[in-house]
Amino acid sequence: MSGLNLELEVFRNIFLSIADEMGIVLRRTAFSANIKERLDFSCAVYDRYAETIAMGDHMPVHLGAMPFSVAEALRSHTIDPGDIVILNDPFRGGTHLPDITSVSAVFTADDPEPAYYLATRAHHADVGGMSPGSMPLAREIYQEGLRIPPVKLFRRGEIQNETLDLILANVRTPEERRGDLAAQVASHRIGERRLLAVTEKYGRGRISRQMDALKDYTERMMRVRLQGIFDGEYDFEDFLDDDGFGSPPVRIHCRLTIHGDQAVVDYSGSARQQRGGVNANLSITVAATMYCFRCLIDDDAPFNAGLLRPIKVLTKPGSVLDAQPPASVAAGNVETSQRITDTLLGALQKALPEQIPAASAGTMNNLSLGGIDPATGLPFAYYETIAGGMGARPTADGMDAVQNHMTNSLNTPVEALEHLYPLLMRRYAVRRGSGGEGMHRGGDGVIREFEFLTDTDFALLSDRRQTRPYGVQGGQPGQPGQNLLNGNPLPSKGHFTAGAGDRLTIKTPGGGGFGREGEMEP
Amino acid sequence: MPTHHIQVGVDTGGTFTDFLIRDGERYFARKTRSTPDDPSRAIIKVLADIAADEIVHGSTVATNALLERNGARTAFVTTEGFEDILEIGRQNRPELYNFFAASRPRLVPRNLTFGAPERILHNGSVERELTDEAIEALARRIREAGAESVAVCLLHSYANPAHERLLGNKLERLFVSLSHKILPEYREYERASTTVVNAYVSPLMDRYLRRLDQQLTASRLRVFQSNGGSISTRAAGHNAIHTVLSGPAGGVLGAAAVARSAGFNKIISFDMGGTSTDVSLYDNGFTYTTESKIGDFPIRVPMLDIHSVGAGGGSITYLDSAGALRVGPRSAGAHPGPVCYGEGDEITVTDANLMLGRLDPEQFLGGRMPLDIERTRSHMTSFAEFVGTSPDSLAKAIIQVANSNMERAIRAISVERGYDPRDFALLSFGGAGPQHACELAARLEMNTVIVPQHAGVLSALGMLSADCVRDFSQSTLGRNVNEVFTELEARASRDFAAEGLPQVHFERQIDLRYEGQSFEITVPAADRDRFHDAHRKRYGYDHSGLAVEAVTARIRAVAPLDKIDLDAPTQAETFSSVYIPPGWASCGDAAGNLILTKP
Repeated sequence: MSGLNLELEVFRNIFLSIADEMGIVLRRTAFSANIKERLDFSCAVYDRYAETIAMGDHMPVHLGAMPFSVAEALRSHTIDPGDIVILNDPFRGGTHLPDITSVSAVFTADDPEPAYYLATRAHHADVGGMSPGSMPLAREIYQEGLRIPPVKLFRRGEIQNETLDLILANVRTPEERRGDLAAQVASHRIGERRLLAVTEKYGRGRISRQMDALKDYTERMMRVRLQGIFDGEYDFEDFLDDDGFGSPPVRIHCRLTIHGDQAVVDYSGSARQQRGGVNANLSITVAATMYCFRCLIDDDAPFNAGLLRPIKVLTKPGSVLDAQPPASVAAGNVETSQRITDTLLGALQKALPEQIPAASAGTMNNLSLGGIDPATGLPFAYYETIAGGMGARPTADGMDAVQNHMTNSLNTPVEALEHLYPLLMRRYAVRRGSGGEGMHRGGDGVIREFEFLTDTDFALLSDRRQTRPYGVQGGQPGQPGQNLLNGNPLPSKGHFTAGAGDRLTIKTPGGGGFGREGEMEP
Repeated sequence: MPTHHIQVGVDTGGTFTDFLIRDGERYFARKTRSTPDDPSRAIIKVLADIAADEIVHGSTVATNALLERNGARTAFVTTEGFEDILEIGRQNRPELYNFFAASRPRLVPRNLTFGAPERILHNGSVERELTDEAIEALARRIREAGAESVAVCLLHSYANPAHERLLGNKLERLFVSLSHKILPEYREYERASTTVVNAYVSPLMDRYLRRLDQQLTASRLRVFQSNGGSISTRAAGHNAIHTVLSGPAGGVLGAAAVARSAGFNKIISFDMGGTSTDVSLYDNGFTYTTESKIGDFPIRVPMLDIHSVGAGGGSITYLDSAGALRVGPRSAGAHPGPVCYGEGDEITVTDANLMLGRLDPEQFLGGRMPLDIERTRSHMTSFAEFVGTSPDSLAKAIIQVANSNMERAIRAISVERGYDPRDFALLSFGGAGPQHACELAARLEMNTVIVPQHAGVLSALGMLSADCVRDFSQSTLGRNVNEVFTELEARASRDFAAEGLPQVHFERQIDLRYEGQSFEITVPAADRDRFHDAHRKRYGYDHSGLAVEAVTARIRAVAPLDKIDLDAPTQAETFSSVYIPPGWASCGDAAGNLILTKP
């Protein structure tokens, strides 16, 4: 269909409201702080080809990667009505182990084949493994936690208690996991009900046509945008500090080729897969790529499978951006994804110098921790990511203290955190002066200081502690971050133990500056 | 009640100030142009000829101060080490895929932010005392900085307000807003934001109300709040946060009053204006929310649950870069306005209605503003030629897209909360509502539409159907719930007695959740078992085996006031154009409302 489709907006509203409603149910009925306070989850609707039709405005790093989960669930199983498949295996449709994805199919009365698919992804606060919070610095995936290949949690509406028991026996906070999984299941039920209701109302044929039209529409929007960029090859490289096991800086490279209304993003010049968990699988690399291109088109354009049609992503299997088993991957989703974004945006900056900002903090500053809560005698596990400075924009300073690019999770309120865990927050502040100077300044990072109230194991997966978020067009780089225990520096990645009264201070990087300081906007 | 008593509801809007006057047994409406530089002028002008005994006023002074950023010079005091919590907020960025999104605005500049050397823990115990010397020093610095108003939000003050009280006592002669009084609930950013907004808007509101009160010497002035009740001017001047968004709340109250008197107990009110549409649900009682936001500022005091979307009669239609027809959120406003007003060149929803004959060009705004249909026709024709369709199909498509936006808003307050819209009637008001109501109802399979007699002044009417209502809440984490209720009721009784309202009754409500969850559902305190049902209704399942915990105790204190009787005689008003699609039947009821039904 080309030209004018007068109903497109109507159906776009319908599908989006279904994804939104699934998100509301998941968030409000979840049990872990990570989902209910920080919103580290996503929900999406897929068509009969398992292509994305609508996603709530949730987590960018989830959204581009979730279609891989749906595809893998379908490869592994025949999904019947009432079935829900779950998985977290990074080598079979997942990204990193704490992200558990659920997939179901929606059937209409007249057809034995699925009419639509639904998926939710939630970051569970613990899935076992060598450290509480399941975001360890590991050499192999086996150390990172319980690996769930696509398995059916529900068969024809019946919960599979054996599967659930196996999972719950391998995690530190089983009751919380049970509640969070129930919230994901409830989200599917709502999505299914709504999809069936709209199908009854508008008819299967009309819904299918409009789903196709929405993908075509986004594709057209992307092609129009690419056509506006000068043809050419644009190279950029950036680095992760290390893999956590003493490696030299890890190179991420991309060569962006724009040709007419198409783009090729070739990452095959990136480093080999690493010993530490900075490895990203292909779905993460695609998700980060998709995010960057998504930012080039209107903010309210629908985000669906059409976006990637004009874009080709090339990786080398066995590289840090296309990791193979048994690589450890905990940081690939949360750290490497940010560097992929920095790298591709760096290349795009060369093509669109007045439209692409300087580098943002470039790390999610992952902190996971746990131990035994003296108040209850039970294990606790907590995970959070911490904001940083946004890169300066061509027309404005970068924002201070915000989540950038591949994440947008909220903080846990200090008052909620102190109710839930044996922690005391000592300081939560903007890290003044950490943004890079320039015609427009990079945004400042954050300082977050915890005091532990009991023996606690914690793991840090952070980056930009050596390398710095780059400035562009003469702007200065942002300050690198710092991790300190009682004032002594800790490495960017690793496992540590602390006792009551110890203080952990995390200072996150500032964004890069844009343009030379003192210059005026053209 | 004496029948010669004259009551007036006054709703100040952006363009018009509406009056509903109840003179003994009868009532009638008035409308005049608003005077935005000083809203009281429009009020005084109309009330000069009316010996009003009592006035209930819905004011936009607080909302406008917030939106236009011209509130009081406000200082913010919080626990040392946390001075930036307002700036950091919840650390998320406002728009996911927009590099150019505007930075978060702030109401308090950095040089007016102060850290208090103190610390209270989550269980209310004091880890670090706030000393007298520290209080003196803070008070001095705040005065030297030239603050007119001060917001104080210390960590865990909902569990132990001692330090906030000590600070408050030392800040005499300034406007002081203490977070444990404004919103004694956990989550520091939302509590701080609510407190700061109160501090920012209250001084303006207080000055405005004093001025108005002085000019209306013969009348008793009360102020309408966003929770659907009214309060004294004195209370409103210090708690202006409760008046933010009170205009739409008046409309919801008016809608419910009309619906009840016409025999409907379940309605969805639908107020479609020029730039936005407000919808709200009434099911034998109002629905409330504590999760409102104005602009970028969370406001967590209880308000009537009103969902707003940027789609109205003035919403502009356009074709985007990939060829989809879009409507809004950009609006042509009053200037240049829709194409048919004679100046604008961008086609709006109003033009589409005019094109399809759903608007009478001679009767717009009671005939005071004839519309230029030829202008609309020629613009619509060239746009339609450009996209390769007929002007009529284009106009229909514009209306469909606008309706789909509004349908989403109605779903958000009904389906997403576990209500089935088919059980409700759609009560339509606002200038553009009646042209869309039937089609919108049909989309949601609702078969009754009510267009009320006083659709043009429904908000002012609502203000005359309000009781005196104040909401009190207190976090109960780790406390005995009954003790908390007793405290809250004692506090409410004192406040009402001070207003000369001894006849007060209390509704006890409690926010519950499954232990470990983070979102609560409010249920009547006497009927806690209802929680499982409410959870199932809203989310499709429950965990009946799990422990339930109480998070917040709420008291709604209500002192009944003399209210308007809608069966009383009134002056008939002309309706704005109502579009009745084929298949709908219409009839008028005794009170002059239009009832449309689809068999």
